[in-house]
Amino acid sequence: MARRERKQLIASLFLLLCTAFFPTSLIADDAGLIVSAGISHKFNKKLSTGFEFEFRSRNTFRTVDRMGLGADVSYKVLPWLKAGAGYNLLIYNNAEKLTFQDDGVSYNNWRPSYWAIRHRFNVMLTASHKIQRVEISLRERWQYTYRPSKIIDNFDFDEGMWEDYEEKGKGKNVLRSRLQVEWDIPRCKFDPFASVEFHTTRELDNTRFIVGVEHTLKKTHAFKAYYRYQVKNGEPNIHYLGMGYTFKF
Amino acid sequence: MKKILYYSMVLTTMAMGMASCVNDDTDMADIIAQYQVEPASIELDFSALVEKPDVPVTDEADEAYNDYVENTSWNQVIEIQYSGDMVTVTGSVPGVTVSNSGAHVVVMNMSGPVQFIVSGKTADGSLKFYGDKRFQVLLNNIDMTNPHGAAINNQGSKSMYVVLADGTTNHLQDGQEYTMVDDEDQKAALFSEGQIILSGKGRLNINATGRGGLRSDDYIRVRPGVNIHISSTALDGLRANDGIILDGGVINIETTGTGAKGVRSGGPMTVNGGRLIAISNGDTRITDENDLTDTTACAALYCDTLLTVNGGTLKLKATGDGGKGLNAKWDVNITGGQFIAVATGTRDIKKPKGVKIDRNLNVTGGYFYTYSRRSDPLDVSGTTQVAPGYKDYSVKPKVITIAY
Repeated sequence: MARRERKQLIASLFLLLCTAFFPTSLIADDAGLIVSAGISHKFNKKLSTGFEFEFRSRNTFRTVDRMGLGADVSYKVLPWLKAGAGYNLLIYNNAEKLTFQDDGVSYNNWRPSYWAIRHRFNVMLTASHKIQRVEISLRERWQYTYRPSKIIDNFDFDEGMWEDYEEKGKGKNVLRSRLQVEWDIPRCKFDPFASVEFHTTRELDNTRFIVGVEHTLKKTHAFKAYYRYQVKNGEPNIHYLGMGYTFKF
Repeated sequence: MKKILYYSMVLTTMAMGMASCVNDDTDMADIIAQYQVEPASIELDFSALVEKPDVPVTDEADEAYNDYVENTSWNQVIEIQYSGDMVTVTGSVPGVTVSNSGAHVVVMNMSGPVQFIVSGKTADGSLKFYGDKRFQVLLNNIDMTNPHGAAINNQGSKSMYVVLADGTTNHLQDGQEYTMVDDEDQKAALFSEGQIILSGKGRLNINATGRGGLRSDDYIRVRPGVNIHISSTALDGLRANDGIILDGGVINIETTGTGAKGVRSGGPMTVNGGRLIAISNGDTRITDENDLTDTTACAALYCDTLLTVNGGTLKLKATGDGGKGLNAKWDVNITGGQFIAVATGTRDIKKPKGVKIDRNLNVTGGYFYTYSRRSDPLDVSGTTQVAPGYKDYSVKPKVITIAY
């Protein structure tokens, strides 16, 4: 297969997958953008670290959803097993919340959107196995997110007035299980990948389907473009277009 | 490579810039504005009222004929003057005996119509009437407190005309604990088994601390000219078992007791004129009996049967938990006048409502306003009929107004 044809194939596959994951109910679903930029450094063959800034939008790309700064470190325990830990400072634009009375029609409370920070810690284990040019990996990540207490505005329709509402500090544990397949195509610098990830608290809370490609230039500049479809309890399904850049040294 | 980096940065900046522009909150400004309405102001108002001339009914066939003190000749007069623990009785009428123990006076009236002129001051006195003859009590600057029960108590079943002498100010107060007599009721500071008809151009202040303020086990009629202020920390302010007719006058009522009503009418209530302001500040009363918990909400006006407003001004306010401006168990007809009901209480136990009607509301004239801060301003179990011709008919989450 000629190089140009291979590229066209990859691009076509990517578009096809994107189209396949965009259901007809797109209008009812939301869409957003994920943009990330970071640096990573390999101390040796086993130990590496990284820093990343992430930006995420919602409301059909029009509203900031969150921004985050993260740092992580990973260590290759075995050739097929990597352990890691990380911390993220997340600044969330929490979406509005409108509740109704028991009759389902009369307003009860309205809490407009508000900004708040969250601290997220995680530890993970990633097992990977390569079959020829296809690498299959399973990542298990335990994540603890702490939301500090915050006083926010709330309009109580019963009282007919604004009041201060304290959203109390709360921690949340999530087990994230991700199964990923990567394809290293010979003489091609675009590596497609696909993954499915399940977030479990007491029950399955969030499922993410991702397809994308990675492109690395001179082993220093890594680019990533992907599509993510997310199904989360209590929230509209959301289609993300993502792109990322990592400077490796 | 530089181009890729450049375009990536431009794209990222554009995407982030675009995203930061739009807030995805629902536009609630107009909706919230409808909920942030302050209620019509209702405060006690003792100012004089310009009223239509009070023309007594002269047709003896009219059922209201006997409610007019002018239609009776009051040739027989007895004066009772209080002074501390002492009482001075002037005048005598055959068939009428007046006895006293200190300042506690008992009148046995077996005669015809008798006018009793009451004046003076006592901190431990009372006036009780027996006999099935209608009579008149002319309050002529009386200041009476009975620590043991009702200040004035009529055990007869006939009309008691309570006339407030022109320009006088009269005070009646009951005690926190009532000393009861077998087979006798005393339910308020001013109580009558028979009708009470209030008239005159004086002022009457009633302070109820043990039971109700002004109560009849029959009906009560209030005529133009009177100025009445009832303050109750115990039970209902103004109550009549068989109905209330307001033809005029200035009436201010405030209650703070749990479950108390500013005005309670067991029979039909008709408002033809005057200005009644009732403010109920009590919370819901909770009683436990035989392992059953019962709750009774306050109301500025509680009406067991038909309420008709033909004229005058009715201002009702409930500020306690679950308190209603008007709680009507039967139809309510507004044909004229001004009806304003406000509920500002909390809804911890009961729902506070401006107007709650178990049957139908018919508005054909006048002005109707109801407000509830924390619940429905108007709760009608039956139908609400608003006759055509109104100038304003506005229904908002907290306020409903109808104006003709």
